[in-house]
Amino acid sequence: MTMAPARTSAQPNGQVARTPADGAPPIIETRGLRKAYGGVVALDGLDLIVPRASVGLLGANGAGKTTLIRTLLGLSKPTKGTGRVVGYDILTQGTQLRQHVGYMPEAEGLPSGTTAADFVGHMAEMSGLPARAARQRAADVLYQVGLAEERYRLIKGFSTGMRQRVKLATAIVHDPDLVFLDEPTAGLDPQGREEMLELVERIYRTMGIAVVFSSHILEDIERICDYVVILDNGRLVTSQPLAGIGDVQGTLVVQIEGDLAAFSSLLVERGYQVERGKDDMALNDLIVHFTDDEVYDAIRDAAVRLNASLRSLRSGSRTLEDIYLGDVGAMREAQDVVS
Amino acid sequence: MQQPPVPSLSLAAADARYGEVFDRGYAHYDGKRLGRRHAWWALTVYSMKRAMGIRKSWTAKIIPFLLYLAAIIPAIVMIGLVALVPRAEIASYPQYFEAIFLIAWIFAATVAPEMLCVDRREHTLPFYFARSITRFDYVFAKLAATILLMATLTVLPVVILWLGRQLVADSPGQAMRTHLDDLGKVVLIGVMLALVAGVAGLAVSSITPRKAVAVAIIVIGYLMLTSIAHAAFAASDGNWRRYLIFMSPIDLFLGLIEGLFPSRELDQHLVGLANFPIEVYLLYMIALAVIGVLFIRWRYAPND
Repeated sequence: MTMAPARTSAQPNGQVARTPADGAPPIIETRGLRKAYGGVVALDGLDLIVPRASVGLLGANGAGKTTLIRTLLGLSKPTKGTGRVVGYDILTQGTQLRQHVGYMPEAEGLPSGTTAADFVGHMAEMSGLPARAARQRAADVLYQVGLAEERYRLIKGFSTGMRQRVKLATAIVHDPDLVFLDEPTAGLDPQGREEMLELVERIYRTMGIAVVFSSHILEDIERICDYVVILDNGRLVTSQPLAGIGDVQGTLVVQIEGDLAAFSSLLVERGYQVERGKDDMALNDLIVHFTDDEVYDAIRDAAVRLNASLRSLRSGSRTLEDIYLGDVGAMREAQDVVS
Repeated sequence: MQQPPVPSLSLAAADARYGEVFDRGYAHYDGKRLGRRHAWWALTVYSMKRAMGIRKSWTAKIIPFLLYLAAIIPAIVMIGLVALVPRAEIASYPQYFEAIFLIAWIFAATVAPEMLCVDRREHTLPFYFARSITRFDYVFAKLAATILLMATLTVLPVVILWLGRQLVADSPGQAMRTHLDDLGKVVLIGVMLALVAGVAGLAVSSITPRKAVAVAIIVIGYLMLTSIAHAAFAASDGNWRRYLIFMSPIDLFLGLIEGLFPSRELDQHLVGLANFPIEVYLLYMIALAVIGVLFIRWRYAPND
């Protein structure tokens, strides 16, 4: 896992100095966080400790992602529980917290009759920056998001992708420690989505601003995040580094056309531990555990010896999709049993 | 639309040619962070500018500036006239207020919807509430912006009139000292007009995201209330009619003006019949403003 670049001041050449943040305090901490709207529980006792990272907030629509973000920003009062974001209490220090945290809302919402520079500069002032510094920051940040030339044009003439970039610029114009991005790729075409993901990646890797990236698209989170928080129906499914949960070290999944038992025996004779696939869909899979690179030769030799066709050979690592489906499924099953 | 390119991350200086623009990197902000009060004031000033059409197209500036001119130019012309023709008659303060009342009300109908409706219609509120202000700071910034703008239109012309009257006197210094209480009275009336019209305009604007609807309600509401009060006054008799003054915005202000600058010219009208003490008018106006503010605050209260 590529852990967070800790915040440092700018270097004389304008580049950000990056230092590892191991041991840095968590950016988000919650304890028993609960939010209910009447009888509907949107967040159900979340206990979170999230390190400074590029964090993916994953969940289906209605899982509680936006409610969690709004609660962490101090905009929505939790029914129960406490929390701290970049060191500020979400219940009592909302206005101070929001000076150091940025937010890009999901909803389309930019004033059409103003220029990008004017609106982004105004948002910087609203975050406490003096007027002159706000104008300067607006110009810098609009350059960073690729709108340097367009900054004096009225927003109403902007495409969806450009509007998303303006929203992103408003979220980082005050140089926050952490930025919440609520579905930033929603409504974008493939090229726009690609560019938005690049920008989000830059915010964390180059600018050193920790990111919480809310999405229901697994691929986006897998690509740019180091850490994942998965929610389902307001409950925490998992919160851990992405690199850790996906890896099943030293495992291959083999599919052959031929005698599975004999193939398995030949590999066992070579000293490998072999088991049959457990799921209904994987009964013809052989899962081979290995510790050296000779395993590929052993599989080839066994196939030649039994005259078996090798149909597929892939790493046993779980994808984020496997994890999501597996963990969310397990959690729902457990709830069904309890109820 | 063609997407503008994202600046490249790494253009090595060594590869750069003369005049080539290369990535200037990202610099963190290490300056002052002025906090909530600064944010509140920034929103107030920005809202005033937007309502006046500043940094917007020229068409957005026409109505507010025309209304300003309509309220201020007569005062300046009158002072100029008196300076040139010393015996010329100029409007009294009550006459001037009566003349600008409708202008002030239309100004409120122009400014207040611009303050609130646009943010609701264009869904920009999440951007504001994610900053270092609360929902109530937002409401009070909009109130301050509206009342300050309104006050420039309701107070400034009569202050110019007062100043002009004293400056054309034989002894301006002496005249100023003698008529200082008049200044206090016109400022009080102007501030109350700004407060009531501004809050009423904002209260109406808080119920709809559509500017045109808000403008229509503010203008038609004024006309309806005044017409109903006058019709009821004319169609009936009895002492109860004096309470109709609390229904008609213009008569309410004329009642206050009559109390501060007694003229007895309105004895046959609703204002003359009502004849309440000044304190009653002031308290009623303040109560209206407080109710309006509480209503707007409720409209912007968190819904969870």
